[in-house]
Amino acid sequence: QQQQQAAQQSTSQQATQGTSGQTPQLFHSQTLTTAPLPGTTPLYPSPMTPMTPITPATPASESSGIVPQLQNIVSTVNLGCKLDLKTIALRARNAEYNPKRFAAVIMRIREPRTTALIFSSGKMVCTGAKSEEQSRLAARKYARVVQKLGFPAKFLDFKIQNMVGSCDVKFPIRLEGLVLTHQQFSSYEPELFPGLIYRMIKPRIVLLIFVSGKVVLTGAKVRAEIYEAFENIYPILKGFRKTT
Amino acid sequence: MAARSSCPGCGSAALVEDAHYAQQQLVCAACGCVLAEGLLTTTYAEEEHLREVAYSQSTGQKEQLSRCLQRGIRRVQDLCKVLQLPTVFEETAVLYFQRALQHPSFHLVSLEKKELLGGSCVFVTCRQHNWPLTMGTICSLLYAKQELFASVYLSLQKELGLSVPALSLGDLVKTHLNSFRLFQHTADVPAPFVEDKEKMVARTMQIVELASETWLVTGRHPVPIITAAAFLSWQSLQPAARLTCTFARFCKLAAVDLLPPAHLRLKELLEIFLRMASQLAWLKVFNMDKKTVVKHIGDLLQHRIFLLKRAFCLEDGEEQCATPTGEGSASSPLTAGGAAQEEGCPSEGKRQREGGPRPLLPPCLINPRKRLRTAAPSASDSAITGDEPISDSEIEQYLRAPEEIRAFRKAKAWS
Repeated sequence: QQQQQAAQQSTSQQATQGTSGQTPQLFHSQTLTTAPLPGTTPLYPSPMTPMTPITPATPASESSGIVPQLQNIVSTVNLGCKLDLKTIALRARNAEYNPKRFAAVIMRIREPRTTALIFSSGKMVCTGAKSEEQSRLAARKYARVVQKLGFPAKFLDFKIQNMVGSCDVKFPIRLEGLVLTHQQFSSYEPELFPGLIYRMIKPRIVLLIFVSGKVVLTGAKVRAEIYEAFENIYPILKGFRKTT
Repeated sequence: MAARSSCPGCGSAALVEDAHYAQQQLVCAACGCVLAEGLLTTTYAEEEHLREVAYSQSTGQKEQLSRCLQRGIRRVQDLCKVLQLPTVFEETAVLYFQRALQHPSFHLVSLEKKELLGGSCVFVTCRQHNWPLTMGTICSLLYAKQELFASVYLSLQKELGLSVPALSLGDLVKTHLNSFRLFQHTADVPAPFVEDKEKMVARTMQIVELASETWLVTGRHPVPIITAAAFLSWQSLQPAARLTCTFARFCKLAAVDLLPPAHLRLKELLEIFLRMASQLAWLKVFNMDKKTVVKHIGDLLQHRIFLLKRAFCLEDGEEQCATPTGEGSASSPLTAGGAAQEEGCPSEGKRQREGGPRPLLPPCLINPRKRLRTAAPSASDSAITGDEPISDSEIEQYLRAPEEIRAFRKAKAWS
């Protein structure tokens, strides 16, 4: 049993050391559990998860088995030169420009299916991609279109600003109970919005929790924050599953 | 001062108390010399029925606060007076308002928003003291759009870090029913429609609790549910006379707004009652429908705990539904109920036949709206690295050909 513990300790340490700071690719939620094994401190000590008994339990029993799906990525990039929006709107097929409504050109491409807001200062916002790589590819395509229109566009300071994910816990949730026990984090106003707005502190993510069990997570800068936030909220939601 | 006995001018002893307009004077009757004058003003001891003026209503406050702040505070105080709130609420709301206006995010907002800020402070104070006040009431008092009020309220909550407890449904029931005009016989309200307030409040509370247990309340606007529950409780208290009255007419009689979701809530409540009625031994033989079940709401509410267990599967008991439980028929004293349970073997989540227990789920899970589901990311999508080469032909499809540009320019020239 001690051998098992030691083995688990070393793998979890490896996993936590490995994933810190790297851009995760194919992420499996089990490698970032917060199970406090004896001797190791969890990477993200979260006060939200209930105290788990310190037994050599397998991490699989603690992870939810549900992986949130990314729905939208918002990124920005600096094209590094001033742009003439009227020219762009005239010479590009996929652009719309209505200066009275909004001071930017709205451009769309089909693959990856995204929308970009291009400003005359040369800054650009790209939305609608389903992964970080797709967002980067789409931003590069927009920059290439602007280049072909005759501007000396570069590709500077590409940054992911926001990531939105969603998932389904597959059971209904008593929102009134959740707002009572987690009052400092939750805001539930049925007169305004049917879902509960949960502002998690660590990681800094906003979750929209609905009575049907669907959860929307937003405000992340990296994918791991969404997964971690969901692993934090899942045990709390499970607590509201059974009703008397 | 000792009263003088003789005039200092002429020495006469004829001293008279006379009033010169409003001022009492001691005058010598011989030479007219004024010996003593009374006070024009009264002292504090003399004014026995003095009314204290609060500092906020005196002019002393004006020197210390800015005009905008004064106006806002007065508006908050007026709101509290209109809503007849206790004085403690007024002080708390004014305090929040002052704190909020000092905050950088509210200091420079438009006057309209500042007024909504005052309303939000009153709203937060009421909610913190569990005083049932809905946003609809505040919005109608301020003549504000609900979206704008919502944004101001949420940012106030965030910036000041206020924790606002959830709206207590029980208190809201009492407050909402207070506004119903059904408790006295008037020209509009005929005698058979008049109802005793206590009985109606009690029954409406029970129906609202039942709705809350059966997932009809979570995530929904609370007021239409209370209106629908009030209608059902009113009808069930004297069904003979009231079954013919429609929901719309009821709301008109009671002088209460009929919000559109209330019809749907009524339908859902009746469906719950019908399922419960199908498990009650002496009602099972009848074919209940939406009209007739109202007559038996009293009985259904009395046995609601038992009937809920029988009529619906609890979330963790989907297995219980599939197997007609021996425990189920043993726990129930009615053997006929056991047979009905065995007949209707439900499958998870699908529509049940009448008489079979259905899982107790929110309506959005029972009737899922058909929505176009976006496909999960395919293998080719996840293979994208973001650094692939971009072909020229792909980019050129997004650029206009020169003839196109000329045609476009010509077209624009006409407009």
